[in-house]
Amino acid sequence: MTAPNILLVEDDPALRMLTARGLQEHGFRVQPAAAAPEMWNVLEGGDTDLILLDIMLPGTSGLELCKAVRRASDVPIIFISAKGSETDRVVGLELGADDYLPKPFSTRELVARVRAVLRRPPLHRRDGVESGTMGFEGWTLSLPKRELVSPTGASVELTGAEFDLLAALCDNPQRVIARERLIELSRTRLGDSSDRSVDVLVSRLRRKLAIEGRPAPIVTVRGIGYMLNTPVERH
Amino acid sequence: MTRLVRPSLGLLGRVVAILLLTVLIEFGASTLLYERASEFAVRDDEARRLAEHLVITQRLIAERPPEQRPAMAAELTTDRYAIRWDRVPPPLPRLAPPLDRMRSQMLDWEPSLRKTAFRVALADPGRKSAVLGGLRLDDGSWIQFRTLEPVAAVNLARERILLALIPAVALMIMAGLLVRRTLRPLRQLAVAADRVGDGETAPVPESGPGEVLSVVRAFNRMQERIQRLIDDRTRALAAVGHDLRTPLARLRLRSETIADPGSRREMESELEEMEAMIASMLAYLGGDEEPEAPARSDVAVLCATLVDNACDHGGHATYRGPDHHEALVRVNGLKRALDNLLSNSLHYAGRAELSLAPEADRLIIRVEDRGPGIPGEDLERVMEPFVRLDEARARDTVGFGLGLAIARRMVAVDGGTLTLRNRAGGGLTAEVVLPHSNISLQTRCVAAKSGH
Repeated sequence: MTAPNILLVEDDPALRMLTARGLQEHGFRVQPAAAAPEMWNVLEGGDTDLILLDIMLPGTSGLELCKAVRRASDVPIIFISAKGSETDRVVGLELGADDYLPKPFSTRELVARVRAVLRRPPLHRRDGVESGTMGFEGWTLSLPKRELVSPTGASVELTGAEFDLLAALCDNPQRVIARERLIELSRTRLGDSSDRSVDVLVSRLRRKLAIEGRPAPIVTVRGIGYMLNTPVERH
Repeated sequence: MTRLVRPSLGLLGRVVAILLLTVLIEFGASTLLYERASEFAVRDDEARRLAEHLVITQRLIAERPPEQRPAMAAELTTDRYAIRWDRVPPPLPRLAPPLDRMRSQMLDWEPSLRKTAFRVALADPGRKSAVLGGLRLDDGSWIQFRTLEPVAAVNLARERILLALIPAVALMIMAGLLVRRTLRPLRQLAVAADRVGDGETAPVPESGPGEVLSVVRAFNRMQERIQRLIDDRTRALAAVGHDLRTPLARLRLRSETIADPGSRREMESELEEMEAMIASMLAYLGGDEEPEAPARSDVAVLCATLVDNACDHGGHATYRGPDHHEALVRVNGLKRALDNLLSNSLHYAGRAELSLAPEADRLIIRVEDRGPGIPGEDLERVMEPFVRLDEARARDTVGFGLGLAIARRMVAVDGGTLTLRNRAGGGLTAEVVLPHSNISLQTRCVAAKSGH
């Protein structure tokens, strides 16, 4: 398997160089670009596996670029932004970006996010906007917004690891997922900053998903792992 | 109110005109009432008795030769009337109002008095009114008389005071209302001036007399300028905050190349602190977030997740409360507020308990710890921005001291309150009280379910 090709669009030369170096050290190939024109040049080569896009670029903003890229291709996009704002994150993700990384970030975080996005099936990018929504038993899970909505329409807050675990279970409904695989899936996002065992995360999820005496549809398969015990509809 | 602006001629003119009008009306009314009161006071029977006495006196004195007349007059003086004989007419006090109605009545009863140049007047108008007067004899000498008992003195005083008081009070109320009305734009101005800088600026309605109008307009323009100034500064600071994150990101990546693990960890924690400071400053300025609309959210899960998150990052936190409770809140703001309170408790006490207690019309969320607490006199002050109690409490405080200020503001946006209290037995309670109407939620709940 050849090393994935990362297109890095960042206007600050030093940060561009440092980010590229960090990625290269972890086995990625990096194509640096300072602004939109260079980015389009690289994209024409057609060899890009993922775009790391700074939101605040001179000239065309990253959000505009993201929209333009999404019209032409499905290539995964991770936003990098100096704004830590929730609104910016949601807007970026709604425009079809796959993830969002606030500045300043560590190489470890960056690599974890890149790997997670590359591993994710391209399925929830199919239509760009408003894709990646899954539903089960009245619950709605939105991957781009990283949001869980209850059957009564209330937003339900989960930790990052809990969300990733639930997303992994929903991605493979009614199939047993081994504990080791779940660990891998639910830890990619935050690097290794969360050292919770899958069992703890599952018990928390069960409590948060159990309403009005109805138990959460997550069953334990002894000795193997866990399973989402209900069909999932994808929107 | 008048202290709000320098007295201007227009405003002053209005007030003076109103007062002048009031005084004039009051004067006219009381003069009229005064005269009426005096006439009413001397009752008919009194007048009739006086008339009879005078007719007799006139006859008896006219019969006597002049040298016996003073003695006769003395003899005719009773408890009620004093009679004197003199060669001159009685000196009537200058201010004595003539009693015309009484005089004509007396002349009607005793027509013989008509030829005597009879005159009668009210002496000392007031509490002890007396009637005095005189009548001329055929030889040109005068009989002078004066009533000795006050003429209905008590009645006179009470009625006069009462009658004069009613219009006076009515007029004062009227004048007060008029002045109030004139000054209303100034009151609105004062209220608006008090609010400047609270984040909500609303222009004062432009109305009122000319001078007030120009003050209101000037104030509105000033308010606009201040708001623009605040906005500019906020934007500038936010931009600086955002721009600082790029060099910070470079530094963060460079720090990873440091070979010595000890200094690398130290540098990373310094960088984290810098980032925390920028984040809290941006949160305080509101430069990082769009205004949030209240949305339906499971507050119980929010609390539990905050606790779970703290535990995942090495904190000792527990959650006590229901598994689910839905409410309309600004979830990001509330999350930040509770997160700040929880971080504070974990920082100072090492352990914290977050609890949720839904009540009929409000939500009570408490963060409690067994840390050192806060000296009683500082409980309010620590919620001010940039205030840190560094002396006894840890020197390793992270950030600018904005955490509680941000928490308080975020809670206030939802219409709630944040209160800090020391606990019995040591430690601190941070209590967030959010108003919420269960009824509207339940109805929405039912509607949502039936829609499915």
